[in-house]
Amino acid sequence: MSKITRRNFMKFAAASGAVLAASRGFESDALAGTIKTQTGKDFSPKTGMERKAIPSACWQCVSRDSMIGFVEDGRLVKLEGHPKSIRGAGHICARGQGGVTSVYDPDRILHPMMRTGPRGSGEWKRISWDEAISELTGRIKKLRDAGTPEKFLFHYGRMKASSGALIGGMIKATGTGSIGNHTGVCESAKWTAQEMTWGGHFDNWDIDHTKYMLIMGSNILETHTNHMSVAHRIMHAKVDRGVPMKTFDVRMSNTAAKSDEWIPIKQGTDMAVILAMTNVVLNKGLYKGAGEEFLKFCKCTEKFDDSTPNKIAALKKHYAEYTPAWASKISGVPASKIEQIATEFATTKPAVLIAYRGAVTNYNGCDCERARQVLSSLTGNVDAPGTNCKAVGAGWKSAKIPKTKTTKVKDIFDGAPKGQPESYPFPTHHASHQVLDRIKAKGPGTFDLALWYCYTPAFANGNHAGNIEILKDEKLLPFVVSSDTSYGDSTHYADMILPDATYLERFDWEDMVDPTQTGEYYIRQALVKPLGEARDFGDVMIEVCNRLGIETDYKTKEEYVQQSVDMTPGVKEAGGWEYMKKEGVWNGGKTHYFSYKEVILDPKKQVCKVGGSIYEDLKDPEAICAYFGDDVLYDQKAGVWWHWKASKAKSADEAQEKGYYGTKSAYKGYVATKLGDIAYKGFAPDKINKSGLMELWSQPLVDAGYNALPEWHPAPNQKNMGPDDMHLTTYKVCVQTHSRTQNNKWLTEIYPNNHAWINPKDATTRGIKDGDKIMVKSSIGEMESFAHVTENAQPGHIHISHHMGHWAYGRYASGKRSPVGVDDADDKNIHWTWHGSHPNQVIPNRGDRLSGFQRWNDTVVQVTKA
Amino acid sequence: MKSKNNNRVERAGQRIDVYGFLARVYRKEILPDFLGQIRSPQLKGALSAMGGELEDDFFSRPEEELLEDLAVEYTRLFLGPGRHIPANESIHHERDDGDWGSLWGASTVEVKKFIETSGLHYKDDFTDMPDHISVEFEFMQKVIEKERDAWEDGDSDRAMYCLRMEKMFIDDHLIKWVPQFCGKVVSEAELSFYREMAKITGNFIEFEKEHIDTYISDA
Repeated sequence: MSKITRRNFMKFAAASGAVLAASRGFESDALAGTIKTQTGKDFSPKTGMERKAIPSACWQCVSRDSMIGFVEDGRLVKLEGHPKSIRGAGHICARGQGGVTSVYDPDRILHPMMRTGPRGSGEWKRISWDEAISELTGRIKKLRDAGTPEKFLFHYGRMKASSGALIGGMIKATGTGSIGNHTGVCESAKWTAQEMTWGGHFDNWDIDHTKYMLIMGSNILETHTNHMSVAHRIMHAKVDRGVPMKTFDVRMSNTAAKSDEWIPIKQGTDMAVILAMTNVVLNKGLYKGAGEEFLKFCKCTEKFDDSTPNKIAALKKHYAEYTPAWASKISGVPASKIEQIATEFATTKPAVLIAYRGAVTNYNGCDCERARQVLSSLTGNVDAPGTNCKAVGAGWKSAKIPKTKTTKVKDIFDGAPKGQPESYPFPTHHASHQVLDRIKAKGPGTFDLALWYCYTPAFANGNHAGNIEILKDEKLLPFVVSSDTSYGDSTHYADMILPDATYLERFDWEDMVDPTQTGEYYIRQALVKPLGEARDFGDVMIEVCNRLGIETDYKTKEEYVQQSVDMTPGVKEAGGWEYMKKEGVWNGGKTHYFSYKEVILDPKKQVCKVGGSIYEDLKDPEAICAYFGDDVLYDQKAGVWWHWKASKAKSADEAQEKGYYGTKSAYKGYVATKLGDIAYKGFAPDKINKSGLMELWSQPLVDAGYNALPEWHPAPNQKNMGPDDMHLTTYKVCVQTHSRTQNNKWLTEIYPNNHAWINPKDATTRGIKDGDKIMVKSSIGEMESFAHVTENAQPGHIHISHHMGHWAYGRYASGKRSPVGVDDADDKNIHWTWHGSHPNQVIPNRGDRLSGFQRWNDTVVQVTKA
Repeated sequence: MKSKNNNRVERAGQRIDVYGFLARVYRKEILPDFLGQIRSPQLKGALSAMGGELEDDFFSRPEEELLEDLAVEYTRLFLGPGRHIPANESIHHERDDGDWGSLWGASTVEVKKFIETSGLHYKDDFTDMPDHISVEFEFMQKVIEKERDAWEDGDSDRAMYCLRMEKMFIDDHLIKWVPQFCGKVVSEAELSFYREMAKITGNFIEFEKEHIDTYISDA
C-alpha cells in the first residue's frame, strides 16, 4: 500500500497546481512537439532500433585516422576504420576503437566549475557557462585594456588542423602571443633537423613502393605519429612482398619482434650507428649511382655549387673517425653488423629509414636526425618512390580568422636565455616542457592568466613534483583555467574548469600526412551531441572573442569548418560540405615525388614560372632579380633569390650587407635556388635560413658556433656513469596514448599498469625477482615500480612505459573517482589495485643540445629492490 | 454530482499538476519566484498531508540565504563534486540484463526512444541526459495533458491510448528507479526540503503504480 491516500493526493495536487499557476511558466521545459496518439506505432525499445553510420575522424592519437561511428538512438556504440580512406584503408587501432567509452567516462566533467577550496583541494562548485565565459573574458579584457595582453598565457597539448587554425587564431586575436605548444615533448629535435636540411618538416616513408625497411628507435607497429596508416602498409610490404625489415631498438618492442632482425642498441647511440653506416657507404663507394645523382641537390661544403668529387671528399674527411669499430664501442652493436646493415640499406633500392623518437629523445637528438638525412641522401633515398619523402597532407583553405598584432613574454617558451644552462640555438618548435620552470625562474607577475587546453602540464612534462609545486603557487600563476573533457592531474590544480566536448562530439577538417604522397582531405563530425553541458572549446573561444568585440563570420566551429570546406578547391567542386558529411573523405589530389626538382626558370628548355617569358641564361643571376620582384636580391653565398622585404631587414642595403644567411627571417622571402643554369624551387626553407638544397652542411649552425656537419657528442650526464648506474628509457604501448586514455576503461582494462622491464643479469646482481617492488632513483627524485624481469630488456637499461601513474585522473587511471564522478556499472570490474607509476617522477626537463627537445631517454638512474 | 467524465478530467488535471510541480523541483536549482510559491501556507499543509514535514525555518529564513543553501544542497546531492546521486534512470534502474549503473546507459536509450516515439522531441538547448528525472516527469505531465484533452473532447480511444502509454512508462521506468533514487536522497539530504520532497516523490510514484490500472479499467 502506498503511504498516501487519495484525499491527501488531491490536496497536494491542488497546492502543486497553485504553485505552478502562480509562478512563471516552466521556462526550462526539456521537451517539445506533440504527442501522437495514432495506434499501431511501435515504441518498444526492444524493436525497431535504428543504427546510423557517420563518417568521422579519430583523435585518440595524433594520427587522426578516418573512421565510421555507429550510433544507436543517440548512443555511440562502435567505431571502425573508414574503408574509403586511402590512409587507413579501413583500419583503426585499439585506441581508436576504444574511444567509445571516452564519451561516457564516469569521471567526465559535464558542467563548468569554479574552485571553492584551496587550489588542489578538489573542492568545486558548478557555475553557468555565462559566468565562466564572463570570468574568462573579463580577465582577458583587463589585460588588453592595460596594454599587457601577453600576460595571458595559453598552452595546448594537442590542437591540430581546424582546431589549431581556429582556436590558435582566436587566442592570437586577443593580442597574446604567449602560446605554449606540445612539440617539445613529441619529436621537435627531428623537425628542427629537417628544417636545417630540407626545410619544412615531416618525412613520409613510401612503404607501398619500398624494397627495404630499416627502423631505428621507432615502435611503429604499436604507436607512432602516423601510426596505423603506416603500420598496416608495413605489414603488407612484409607479408605480401617480402620486404626485409630490420630494427635497431634499445628493447625488443613488438615492432622489433615482428622484424626480420632485432639489433639491440644502447640507449641514445642510434646516431653513432648512423654515422658509422655512412662511413661504410662512403668508404665502399655505395653512394655511386642514385646517391651521387642526388648529391647534386645537396650542400656538403661551404660552397653551394661545389663539385660532386669535392662534396664526397669533404664528407669522407668528416666521417673518417666514425668507423664501425668506433660506433660498436659506443652502441654495443657489433662492427660487422653495422657494416652488413649499411651495405644492405645502400644496395637494396629504394629503401626507407624510419628513425623516430627513440633515436632523437637524447642529447644528440637533432644531430641524429641530420645524420639520418645524410645517410638517406648519400644512398639516393630521398623524395623518390619507395624512399623517405617530403610529407604531403590536405591543403584546406581556412575561413577568415580575425587578426591582430600580438606580443609575448620573452624567455619562457624557448628554454633559458642565451648563455645559461638549458639554452638552445635552434628551438624552432620551442621547449614548452620547460615553460613552468621558466615561469618560476622569472618569478611572480610574469602571467596573470593561464589557460590550458587539452593539456596536462603536471603529468606530461618531466619532474612531476616540481610541476605540482609551481602549479600550486598562486603568486606564479594567479588564475588558471583548464579546458578538458575529464577531471585530471592538472585540472586538479586549476581555478576554473571548462568542460570540453570530446572529439566524438565536435567538427573539424583534418589533414594528417598521407602515406601515398597524395594528400587526403577528411573531416570529423560530431557523432553524438556533447554530453551534459560540455562545449567544444572552439565554440567557447568564438564566444569569448565575440564578447571582446572581435567579430567573426561564424558563431560555431561547425560553421567555421563548413565555410572552410566549401571554399577548398577540389572538395568544393566535389560537393563541398554536404559531400564531406556524407563521405567523410575526399581524394582527388596528385601524388608528389621529387618536389625539389620543380623548375622555376630554365632558359634552355624555355620554362618560366615567374610571369612573362624569361629566356635569358642565368650567368648573371643578379640581373634576373627584377623578374622575380622589385625587392628580390640574389645571394652569392647561398645561391638564393629572395625578397628582402619579407625578412626583418629594414632596408635593401642592410639585407645586402647581412646577406641571406645573416638576415633574420630571410627564409620567409625565399624564391628559388640556382643550380647550374636553372633556378629550382628546391627544398624550400621553413623557420631557418637555408637554401633550396638539401643542406647536409649547415651555414646557420656554423654561424651559431657549431659544426656544419653532424657531430657526435657524448651526453654530459652520462660521462661518469658508475657500475650501479643504469639508463632509463621510456616507450609506449599499442593500447594507450601518452596521457589521455588511461581513464578509458576498455583500454586500461587491457593495460592497467606498467611494470619496469629489467634484464635478468641486472636483476640478479640487485637481488630482484620478477614481480618484486623496486625503487628507481635519479638526480631529481625517486619512484616505485614493480620489476618485469625479461631478456627483452637490455643489460644496463631499465624500460618504463610512458602512460600510467596518474594521481587525480579518474578511477580507472588513478583509483580515485573524480570529484564529479558518478557510479559506473563497471566499477565492480576494476581488477587492478596498482595503477602504475610514471617515469616523469625521475626524468628532469632537459633539452637536446640544438633544438631543446625533451630528453626522455637519457636519464641515469639507480635501481634497487624496495 | 460531477459526471464521470468530469472526474476523469479533474483527476488528469491533478496528476498533471503534481508531475509538473515535481519536474520543476528536480529540474535545476530553486529560483526566487518558485521559492516564493513553495513557501505558501497552502503547500505547507499539502506537504504535511503527503507525509513531508518541512522545518519551520524553511518558511521564515531570509530568501537569499535559503536560496544559496538550497543551491548548494542541489549541487551536492545531484551534481557533485563528491559522491552524489545523479538524477538519471540509467544509474539506478537495476536491469535484469545487468546493463545499468552508468550514465547514458541502456535505460537512457530506452527512455529517449520511448519519448521520441511518442512524437515529442528534446529541445536543442536541453543539455542534460534524456533520462533525467525532471524529463521523465515532464513527459508524464505532457501525456496526461493529452489524456485530459481527449476526455474533454469525449474521445475515449485517444484517452485510453494515453493511459496505456502512461502505464507502460510507469511500469517500465518510473517505478523501477524513482523510489530507490528517492530513498538515497532521503539518506543523503541535509536540508529538509530535498529530503521531504524525495519522500513525497517516492510515495507519489508508488501511488501512481497502485492506481494506474484502476484508471484504465475505469475508462
